[in-house]
Amino acid sequence: MLKDKIKKIYKAKVSNFEQLAKSSYFIEIETDNPINVKAGQFISVYCEGLTLRRPFSVFSNNNGKIGILFKEKGKGTKYIKSLKKGDLIDVTGPLGNGFEIMEKRSLLIGAGIGTAPVSFLKTKLDEKGIENIFAAGFLNKDEIPCCMKIDRIYTDDGSEGEKGSILNYLGILINEYKPEIIYTCGPFIVLKTVAQFGEMYGIETQVAMEKVMACAIGVCRGCVIDVKQNGRIINKTVCKDGPVFKGSEVVWQ
Amino acid sequence: MAVVSDITQVNLNGLILKNPILTASGTYGYADEYNEFIDVSNLGAVVTKAITLNPRAGNKHIRIIETKAGMINSIGLENVGIDKFLESKIPVLKNNNIEYIMNIAGATLDEYVKLAKICNDNRIKAIELNVSCPNVKSGCLEFGVDESALFELVSKVREKYRGFLIVKLTPNVTSIEKTASAAERAGADAISAINTLKGASIKIEFINGKFKKTVVQGGYSGAGIKPAAISAVMRIKSAVNIPVIGIGGIETLEDVLEFFAAGAEAVQIGTANFTHPEIAQQLVVELSDYIKKSGFKNLDELKKELRA
Repeated sequence: MLKDKIKKIYKAKVSNFEQLAKSSYFIEIETDNPINVKAGQFISVYCEGLTLRRPFSVFSNNNGKIGILFKEKGKGTKYIKSLKKGDLIDVTGPLGNGFEIMEKRSLLIGAGIGTAPVSFLKTKLDEKGIENIFAAGFLNKDEIPCCMKIDRIYTDDGSEGEKGSILNYLGILINEYKPEIIYTCGPFIVLKTVAQFGEMYGIETQVAMEKVMACAIGVCRGCVIDVKQNGRIINKTVCKDGPVFKGSEVVWQ
Repeated sequence: MAVVSDITQVNLNGLILKNPILTASGTYGYADEYNEFIDVSNLGAVVTKAITLNPRAGNKHIRIIETKAGMINSIGLENVGIDKFLESKIPVLKNNNIEYIMNIAGATLDEYVKLAKICNDNRIKAIELNVSCPNVKSGCLEFGVDESALFELVSKVREKYRGFLIVKLTPNVTSIEKTASAAERAGADAISAINTLKGASIKIEFINGKFKKTVVQGGYSGAGIKPAAISAVMRIKSAVNIPVIGIGGIETLEDVLEFFAAGAEAVQIGTANFTHPEIAQQLVVELSDYIKKSGFKNLDELKKELRA
């Protein structure tokens, strides 16, 4: 009886684990029931011995097999990297509010590991037949995950696609493609710059934010950001109100 | 379905709860938020996020950082304020049959007295006074560290509030026996301890030839503070006769039993809720099973044997 109440905790089995790029890994977990996940939503993973669960944007969802991409950066990702096919993993989710898909010509901007939810969004847009292009920036060729359907690639060293930061090409992309909406995920500077370009060109932007979280369900108020709403600046939690916000509403510092 | 049974019932000096597993203020929201994961009505009680007279936006800058055996928070009492709490959260608590204790915090004596009166007028059954938040620059901190200021505060609140009055003590004092005793003399019905330890953490990264430092100063909580909490409970028990609710680093049934052995009548689960959102309910079930399996009649008998 008790178990019926538990909606969002899974002791899920690792069903696939692959290295997709030089320092990016893909891990897929199998939940009991197929669950519906919106692009931009995340799962929260318990990492053995650590107090705080770690949030990861969902990269793929195939009938309840939820995939995430990660880079080994700290203790949490070190733990996840140590997992093997068949291991059990303690996962909650999907959590938060994802991208709100609009029937509009869409420009998708992803950078680094932040391409994961953007790539997931692209599959959703393609399924719905919404016109889009996916532009992604990486450090170099080796960092590009092998399975993404990227339309325009930018690398800092020019080893693949155009040379230089994707931010240097935002104006060109907008002028060429004339998007009606831009969706993005990546480092803070990418989100901020995309939001600024959106303001400048009068194009709606949706940005997927990241912040250290404790509860992941909006109660601890640990991950708040300043958001403009009705002329006032208020706190919004990245975990529950976000992680996706309108770029025009975020107070960029 | 309720997992409760008579064997886990606890009587805290007149406040009867279905079991001794509570959740600590600031880690469980205002009401039913954790119903996403468990049935919150199975818990002994939820202690609400600290409520202040007026809404508070809380602190700027980075609010949380993980440490080796826990975390540091510097939320700064962000909350909706008492009016909104009464209007929008109490009905949710009632509709979901959630037993709750309202945690209140003021910046001045006057604010505490006003809050106490409002709680009394609204027949709030139990309140917990936060006299020890380490993240707010002025105000409640002073009450918790000064026994005569605390005595005056609790006395004034007692005059206005006839329900069950818990005083939550800070460990950041030289003698917690003295502050506990002051709270008891002033008319507190129970003491909860401990609030977070004063802590700070500096995360250092070396990026592009430069150090990047992330500094968070605030309240340290989690598994690492358990020995400090056990010690505080034992010392408080030696100084007062009112019940003590133990708080600090509880993650397992063994931890709960340790607090009972130290003299706590009930416990609050805090940071562990973040790590394992289902933990509080799991501990209720485990405690109930343990009492049965060990052949005790009920929780009181288990505690008696633990302390023998």
